[in-house]
Amino acid sequence: MGNDKFVEVKNLKKVYNNGHEAIKDVSFSVKKGDLVCLLGPSGCGKTTILNILAGLLSPTSGDILFDGKSVVKTAPKDRHIGYVFQNYSLYPHMSVLQNVMFPLVVGKNKKPKAEAKKIAEKYMKLAQISDLADQRPHNLSGGQQQRVAIARALVGEPKILLMDEPLSNLDARLRLKIREEIRSLVKEVGITTLFVTHDQEEALSIGDKIILFNDGVIQQDDLGQNFYLKPNNYFVANFVGNPVIDNFKVKKDDGKIKAKDFEINVDDLDQDRFKREIPDGDYILSVRPENILPDENGGLPVHVDDIELIGRERILKFEHDGKQARSLVDLEAPIKVGDDIKLKMRLDRIFLFTPDGERVY
Amino acid sequence: MKRIRWGVVLGYIILVIFAIITVFPFIYMILGGLMSFQETTSIPPTIIPKHFEWGNYAKVFAQAPFARYFFNTFVTASITTIVSLFNSLLGAFAMVNLQFKGKRFIQIILLSLLMVPGEVIIFTNYNTIARMGLLNTYIGLVLPFLTSIFYMYYLQSYFGSISSTIYKAAMIDGASDWEYIWKILVPMSKGGLFTVGLLSFISGWNSFLWPLLVTNEDSMRLLNNGLSAFASDAGSETQLQLAAATLTVLPILILYLIFRKQIIRGVVRNDLKG
Repeated sequence: MGNDKFVEVKNLKKVYNNGHEAIKDVSFSVKKGDLVCLLGPSGCGKTTILNILAGLLSPTSGDILFDGKSVVKTAPKDRHIGYVFQNYSLYPHMSVLQNVMFPLVVGKNKKPKAEAKKIAEKYMKLAQISDLADQRPHNLSGGQQQRVAIARALVGEPKILLMDEPLSNLDARLRLKIREEIRSLVKEVGITTLFVTHDQEEALSIGDKIILFNDGVIQQDDLGQNFYLKPNNYFVANFVGNPVIDNFKVKKDDGKIKAKDFEINVDDLDQDRFKREIPDGDYILSVRPENILPDENGGLPVHVDDIELIGRERILKFEHDGKQARSLVDLEAPIKVGDDIKLKMRLDRIFLFTPDGERVY
Repeated sequence: MKRIRWGVVLGYIILVIFAIITVFPFIYMILGGLMSFQETTSIPPTIIPKHFEWGNYAKVFAQAPFARYFFNTFVTASITTIVSLFNSLLGAFAMVNLQFKGKRFIQIILLSLLMVPGEVIIFTNYNTIARMGLLNTYIGLVLPFLTSIFYMYYLQSYFGSISSTIYKAAMIDGASDWEYIWKILVPMSKGGLFTVGLLSFISGWNSFLWPLLVTNEDSMRLLNNGLSAFASDAGSETQLQLAAATLTVLPILILYLIFRKQIIRGVVRNDLKG
């Protein structure tokens, strides 16, 4: 079967017994050896999908194919998967070595102890936990437990690795380090990986591609940069990006796009970027804070209410039409709180959305 | 100079008084078993015997087959403990980790059965055992106690506090339910299983009403029945009654002393953390 669709999810639906529709008709595929992030706010259904892929939940309808074969009716242990839980779920009464060996000493794939130990030691070395072999999980730090969980997930040499928010219990600095390690580890092993996270930065840095969910529906299934440059809809534009995108209520009328304090000639816009003819009416104009910058010739006069320092850059905060908006400027830009300045936006970087979220420009 | 805190002192005084009230009958039982007949019945009562009459114990063994009672009690208490522990382990596992049709219904039925006092069904049980021809047998003695909904519930709450992802992890790692039970669930729940085992053994050891109903031969009696029979057999020899009572309680007392920590831990249930 084609390696392009090593994991294929077709029209997946999941309705819980209480009537909650967690997943509404989701389809996507994953290339062999890719690391794909399932991203979305909490409650969007991403963990449900992972559980269904693992066989821990059964879908209401739809199909899942691993390497071209449907696995919907296959038991979790026969799906050749590894799973890293958010809380790691290490067996507390076993040593690290016993934890990592566990998949090799139970069930159908039972191996002789010596052989199991050898394989376990190989993966412990890979995960850099060889020196912790005799420790109990509760003596380990979060990062170490994480590595044990990954070693245990990989030791059975699964075809697919599923990770459910594996970094969310770690502190910020460690998270950065471990996520790089995870990426290099799964690439070294060459295993196809699905990685669930609610942290966009994590998804952007680690994923070969990202699938963004909201409300049980895929919002965008794309390469990381396209979430910035070509968001599918209003939700995507607002979910991805830090600081968050600025939104202005506008009206298209008489060949112009008019907001409260500025207007843009439709003719000045890049006509190729229009997705379709748009009638006059209400729209939302969105622009990322790095694309709306102070400029003496700018068309948007604002009053700087507040300035937030984020490392190398500063966020100028101002109010427009009753809503706060932001402009991302260099640390050394000579602007103070209380200044009145003019802002100019890059017209080839703005987006226009209909009120129900469809992107038209 | 350290100030004396009267509140604390008062607290200790009250504790000591209640401790004495609680422990006194046990102490008196042990001491009384070593008194002469006159001392046990004298007024004012004797607390400390003049001579320790160890001979009382020899007389007890001579007058009634206490060794046999011990053996019977040990056998029935052990069998009920092992089997009911096994059954409640499997039942609690199923209730916590398995998904099956009618689970809630079964749970409600079991819970309502828990509210039926044992005395209510004891005569039905008796009839059943009698018709099966199991009177005066070990099987008849243990059969009604081989499952316990209470222990199952106790273990269920114990198992419920283990993260459900541990079970899921084991499933993905390829373990069967049986392997999960023995390699993960049991070692992780030692404290709870131990408490259940101990409670079951103690209640088996102390059982009175049921063995009284289903046995009438001396060779099948348990300690407590033997003791009450002995009390009337021995007539007014109160010192022998007290010695026999001491013998009956002793094993349980020893169990308590040995496993004090585990019992407390099992009741407090804090060994699942970390």
